[in-house]
Amino acid sequence: MIATILTAALVTCSAGSDNADLADSTIMLQEVSVSGQRQRDYQMRTSQSAIQVNHEFLRENLAGSLMQTLEGLPGVKAMSIGSGQSKPTIRGLGFNRMAVVEDGVKHEGQQWGDDHGLEIDQFAIDRAEVIKGPAALLYGSDAIGGVLNLFSNHIPTDSFAGILQLFGSSNNEQLGVSAKVGGRKERWFYRANATLIDYADYRVPTDSIQYYSYWIHLKDQRLRNTAGCERDGSLMLGYAGQKVLTSVRVSDSYSKSGFFANAHGMEVRLSDIDYDRSRRDIDLPYQWVNHLKVLSQTSWCSGDTDVKLNIAYQNNLREELSEPVSHGYMPTPDDPLERRFNKHTGSALVALRCTIGSHELRSGLSAEYQHNRCGGWGFIIPDFETATTGIYLMERYTLRKDLFVNVGLRYDYAWTHIHSYYDWFKTPIGLDSLFVMRSAEMTRRFHSLTWSAGINYATERWTLKSNVGKSFRVPIPKEMGADGINYHIFRYERGNQQLDPEESYQIDASASYDPKGWHFQVEPYLNYFPNYIYLSPTSQYVEGLQLYHYTQARVLRYGLEALVNYEMGRHWLAELQGEYLWARQQSGEKKGYTLPFSVPWSIDTALKYRFGRNNNGFVRVAAHIVGRQDEIVPPEKTTDDYWTLNLSAGKLLRVGKQKLNVAFQANNLLDRRYYDHTSYYRLIDVPEPGRNISATVGLEF
Amino acid sequence: MNNNSKGLQAFGLATLTNQNSMARNTIYFLLLLCTLSACNKSDDDAKDMTYPQISNEGSDASPLDCQQYSRGEMLPVCFLFSDDTELGAYNIEIHNNFDHHTHSTSSADCPMDPQKQPEHPWVYNQDFSIPNGLQTFDAKHEIAIPTDIDPGDYHFMIRLTDRAGWQQLHAVAIKILE
Repeated sequence: MIATILTAALVTCSAGSDNADLADSTIMLQEVSVSGQRQRDYQMRTSQSAIQVNHEFLRENLAGSLMQTLEGLPGVKAMSIGSGQSKPTIRGLGFNRMAVVEDGVKHEGQQWGDDHGLEIDQFAIDRAEVIKGPAALLYGSDAIGGVLNLFSNHIPTDSFAGILQLFGSSNNEQLGVSAKVGGRKERWFYRANATLIDYADYRVPTDSIQYYSYWIHLKDQRLRNTAGCERDGSLMLGYAGQKVLTSVRVSDSYSKSGFFANAHGMEVRLSDIDYDRSRRDIDLPYQWVNHLKVLSQTSWCSGDTDVKLNIAYQNNLREELSEPVSHGYMPTPDDPLERRFNKHTGSALVALRCTIGSHELRSGLSAEYQHNRCGGWGFIIPDFETATTGIYLMERYTLRKDLFVNVGLRYDYAWTHIHSYYDWFKTPIGLDSLFVMRSAEMTRRFHSLTWSAGINYATERWTLKSNVGKSFRVPIPKEMGADGINYHIFRYERGNQQLDPEESYQIDASASYDPKGWHFQVEPYLNYFPNYIYLSPTSQYVEGLQLYHYTQARVLRYGLEALVNYEMGRHWLAELQGEYLWARQQSGEKKGYTLPFSVPWSIDTALKYRFGRNNNGFVRVAAHIVGRQDEIVPPEKTTDDYWTLNLSAGKLLRVGKQKLNVAFQANNLLDRRYYDHTSYYRLIDVPEPGRNISATVGLEF
Repeated sequence: MNNNSKGLQAFGLATLTNQNSMARNTIYFLLLLCTLSACNKSDDDAKDMTYPQISNEGSDASPLDCQQYSRGEMLPVCFLFSDDTELGAYNIEIHNNFDHHTHSTSSADCPMDPQKQPEHPWVYNQDFSIPNGLQTFDAKHEIAIPTDIDPGDYHFMIRLTDRAGWQQLHAVAIKILE
């Protein structure tokens, strides 16, 4: 039935072609601040709560990793997993409950992992967008909590232009350099960039850490073995014609980083490694990951119709190495390769958009295939292949120039094949001794029908919108096929082959009011999962460790983000924003408890002074205030409230024809010792980094 | 689930919900919207937020910090477990402390042998269940100390869970003599 509608839409749309200049219909990035009107135009484009992040924001907030840079956005958090790595969460949902999309293609790494970061070069990103709330309609499985949309495909307008950036930060003694060039000759264009980053162990304001009953002393307050490095590069070639725009982009991102020794792995306390001899070296345990992406984008645009074709290949290769030690019946392995994941992902998307009178129709067909192979002596996920395909149709109807409604429907089919896995060593069982099966071979098929509907309304000062929708997520192989010790966090994890696709219903609203000099915005939401997939700690022990198993429970969540900005004259800007989230499991073993990593309430307040010609310089003082979190679920601990003082400043200078951009940031200026409840390191009692002063110098030519 | 179905039946929607889970979830979701302001706090009162306890008080508690045992002897284990709701299960594990690491649950400062490399250290790791429904439990065991293990400093660890999944750890520093 859906196919029929879609076919009909395709036929109807291709009829109304007209000539139009491609440049006009392509949304180009401009390095100017988004004015109120532009902001409102953006907000009227979608009925979902969304935030646009322009180049200026990225430049002024540049931090150690992409997610740390974006962390100031309302509803967005970086789950810290070390100094150079962090994982994104949107309104408290992360891992496989949100999608990271780069240039229209879903980034596919090992996003289920507790200590796997995002393998994307933040210096290659031109702009970003955060969609808060279920977005399965356009993005399929995983986009249940939202989407982080990254764009690195801006088309150069000059024959040659570029930027060279040098940056450093004090806390982890980070040094980095990044260069980006691009040019256009008639209809052909290219872009290239390269980034090198190197950092040492990071500093926390404490002398010792207590983890799993062990006392771990720190030398010079350094979190030993958290040093790392990153090497990224990309090349893009393209053709921008009258009606056709096509490009190919190849990017590669490599990073290597140490894991905090002593709180990682089962028997690290017996290590002979002298971790404290240097703070720049990387000893065992460590991880390295290489992410290769080849993306071809083609769009054809004619009058009221445009067609887009994206084809992408990604390879994510990761190894985690640690000192080989025996555990239980597992003898000492021969080499340090604990885990190896090699994932190939191929994906394709055809999308069509056309406007007929006051109707804008969008439809698309997407397909993705994943092939994942694992190695090493520590089993955590089985080998698998998955194939998914989805088809969607959405319509946006303009009732008046300030009133839009939209509806959409999507159907997805997913197929997962999990391989069996047997231990590589024998375990005595009774009088016999055998290779224990940790994962059984399995094939499962999933179907899902999702939908979304919304409304946008604007007056001169008000922008109002609301959206209601359903999203879904196919259970990942770890949730279905895990059965073994997670050596990283002292637990025995067991999957559940019977899990259903996780579903989520959400209603959200956004209201903003802009009287002269002021900007008010409030974005409440209500979210219900009939079957949230949850790794629940049980009261049982298996092989000496507490058993955690995957279950499904009804979950209700609600919350809001609110902000007020006030422009005091030409130079001063006062900002106040806050967020709150409540979550409750309503059935199952943990009925009455919240979800893990529940985000506590927070308030951010800042005062910004702009100076210089065109206000191209600024100084900003900000306070970040976070409430106490008593809403916990085993094995979490409550986390105290805290506040930090942060300072930033920047100036754009003209040096001849070139622009020199200088930026400076001081985070946790008072060197406070505090814990972030949503950090992975909270579980192992590691406080957040101490004072960090960073500087960036960028030369635009 | 029962509460839900009753609620839905009251709205005359029971037939619909049985037929179509998507419609049921949608309706449940909309009902939640209506009743959100009337959310009661009874869920909060029921949840267990306390850790189970391992007590080494009492005249027969064993082993205690700094106690010494000989190879070939029986190691008596006796602890009292308690929980405000219901106990779960426990695990006993013994590992060497030849590298002088410290467990924070062990406050004692026992005299230790010089650091050394383990050759044939004692490894003991056993899971035990506790009958359902108990708030207190006396864990009593006799563990035979093998005759062929490296003598020296050892840690005796007890891990205890309650029904909710909270886990308590207790470490004791002991010495095994020749």
